[in-house]
Amino acid sequence: MKWILFFAALIGLSLCGRDKFFGDQVFRINVRNGDEVNKLQELVKSDNLKLNLWKSFSSLGHPVDVLVPAVSLQPVKFFLNSQGLDYSVTIEDLQIYQEMDSIAGDFPDLANRVKIGHSFEGRSMYVLKFSTGKGSRRPAMWLNAGIHSREWISPATAMWTARKIVSDYGKDPAVTSILEKTDIFLLPVANPDGYVYTHTKNRLWRKTRSVHPRSRCVGVDANRNWNASFAGKGASGNPCSEVYHGPHANSEVEVKSVVDFIQRHGNFKCFIDVHSYSQLLMYPYGYTGKEAPDADELDEVARRAAKALASPFGTQYHVGSISTTVYPASGSSVDWAYDNGIKYAFTFELRDTGHYGFLLPADQIIPTAEETWLGLKTIMEHVRDHLY
Amino acid sequence: MQPRQQALPAPGGPRPAAPLPALLLLLLLALRGAAAAPAGSEAPGEASGWQLDPELPHGLLQKAARAALHFFHFRAGSPSALRALASVQRGRARINSKKECQVDLEFTTERYNPKEGEEHLGKCSAQVLFKNEKPGPTINVTCTRFMEKSQRQQEDYQLYKHMQQLKTPLEVSSIPDSHGHIDPSLIPIWDLAFLGSSYVMWEKTTQFLHYYMAQLSSVQQWKTDEDAIDFDYTVLLHEFSTQEIIPCRIHLVWHPSKPLKVKYHCQEPQPPEEASGTEEGSAVAPTGFSNY
Repeated sequence: MKWILFFAALIGLSLCGRDKFFGDQVFRINVRNGDEVNKLQELVKSDNLKLNLWKSFSSLGHPVDVLVPAVSLQPVKFFLNSQGLDYSVTIEDLQIYQEMDSIAGDFPDLANRVKIGHSFEGRSMYVLKFSTGKGSRRPAMWLNAGIHSREWISPATAMWTARKIVSDYGKDPAVTSILEKTDIFLLPVANPDGYVYTHTKNRLWRKTRSVHPRSRCVGVDANRNWNASFAGKGASGNPCSEVYHGPHANSEVEVKSVVDFIQRHGNFKCFIDVHSYSQLLMYPYGYTGKEAPDADELDEVARRAAKALASPFGTQYHVGSISTTVYPASGSSVDWAYDNGIKYAFTFELRDTGHYGFLLPADQIIPTAEETWLGLKTIMEHVRDHLY
Repeated sequence: MQPRQQALPAPGGPRPAAPLPALLLLLLLALRGAAAAPAGSEAPGEASGWQLDPELPHGLLQKAARAALHFFHFRAGSPSALRALASVQRGRARINSKKECQVDLEFTTERYNPKEGEEHLGKCSAQVLFKNEKPGPTINVTCTRFMEKSQRQQEDYQLYKHMQQLKTPLEVSSIPDSHGHIDPSLIPIWDLAFLGSSYVMWEKTTQFLHYYMAQLSSVQQWKTDEDAIDFDYTVLLHEFSTQEIIPCRIHLVWHPSKPLKVKYHCQEPQPPEEASGTEEGSAVAPTGFSNY
């Protein structure tokens, strides 16, 4: 037992200003014999280290997954190495979660990090809630980003936007008045498993990472999985397809988490989904070519937003309904939102138009976020002035 | 019935009357079930004007412009002549009895990888015939020159010399990298890869399928001698309507004053459920490259 105390002491050292580690990690430990099982059990039970068993002991030969908080990384690694335990780090930390926490910490009266669920692989799904008022059902707007994991400019823009909202509140009359009347919920990484996968294995992965018993192919297109003409035109029933809609609507826990939250809240007026690339600003429908009842108003708002977006750098966006502007797409988040009473439903396809595509250079992140912000504000101001 | 190849009328001028048998219905091209605008017909003698029909799907003209540029790049065979689409100025489309779609359009272009401070805007006009799901549209395209032919040749020779000085074997894994970054000394390689990809993308384009080069994912061989650059590489193409990533192995041979030679083999997207497939849904580099 002596080694437990030793490592608890190391934790103390960790807390006293050693290198800062970003985020939690999951260690996959291969336990090969009863002795190793015992050692691991003791380690996990130790209070100080605050470890969390993800995939528990089933039998020898099956690896054990342990969630290790940032502060415990060093001592746990030291322990595993010194005890000769075989392990690997399975999940890269999500720096974005760190940043979200930091924003909430810096502006506690305005921003809150809220957990709305978890991903297929067990990662938390966090939104930032921006609110100036009391009460849990103020009219609200939802900003959705990163549902297609390879579209990195989307979560990047979302995080810049989060910082912008908190910094400009009280200074920019538009932001201030928007937040006086409505709450804003921002989900920067709607597909965390996919996002991590694009960092570790395949930069161009699009779908979730859900596993299906009857297929060798992994993942569902999370933006074909919503209950809006599910499995209609513009989605595929082939699990290996990039636009696979999934076995049924909301089969993806990432999608279901958002649906449940929004439905429980019951007072959302606006839903904006952010993608890349193509430079488009679109509104329902994707699942049909028929005009949405509010198409005229949505089109007018979108045109004004696109004009605002073009003002700083001249970036041109095309505007129109999803099906006539890109292609038919069923089961999309925006169509679901609209058909569920959220009138101001838009989807952005950010920069560029194909030169770099998904691999947009980092030096374009801030200009993209800045121009997009002007478009978002146009929409949000309109929503503020047309609450229903 | 073959659509009549018409010379593009002068801007603003009235359209000459077209003989009835050759008249085609003015139809919005259906994009895999996308909404169709009401069909209209052109009566002979009616001046229908040369304008951007707001009923044309935004996508169709852009697709046609890109296809025209892919073809233009291959035909020019010059990395210094590469262009990027700026915007479509005007266009129109019609479908003939064979369900082929003819698109006439004018568009502006910029240089593909402009150097610091460079700003070249060019104009192109094109006729693109999409052959009802058969890939490789027939294309007629002319573009205004960015620069004199001699200057372009000079730039090509400079590129050629630069490439010959690159240290081999090229230690290149991904261009651009995950963050969109490319080492400036490697931009010519990206340009050359894009040149070869243009040929592939043109050959694969239909009215429903259009492509972008997402990434140069690996270089199998880079040989330079007095005669040519011998470049064997893999790109990942992004097909927009299916969202699939398609790895293509390309072998090109380039010399500034000779026509470009390209051979390729693409790994076609996912097999149906029953066939044994790979575990990954996208972007798997091809193994077992067969003779082409």
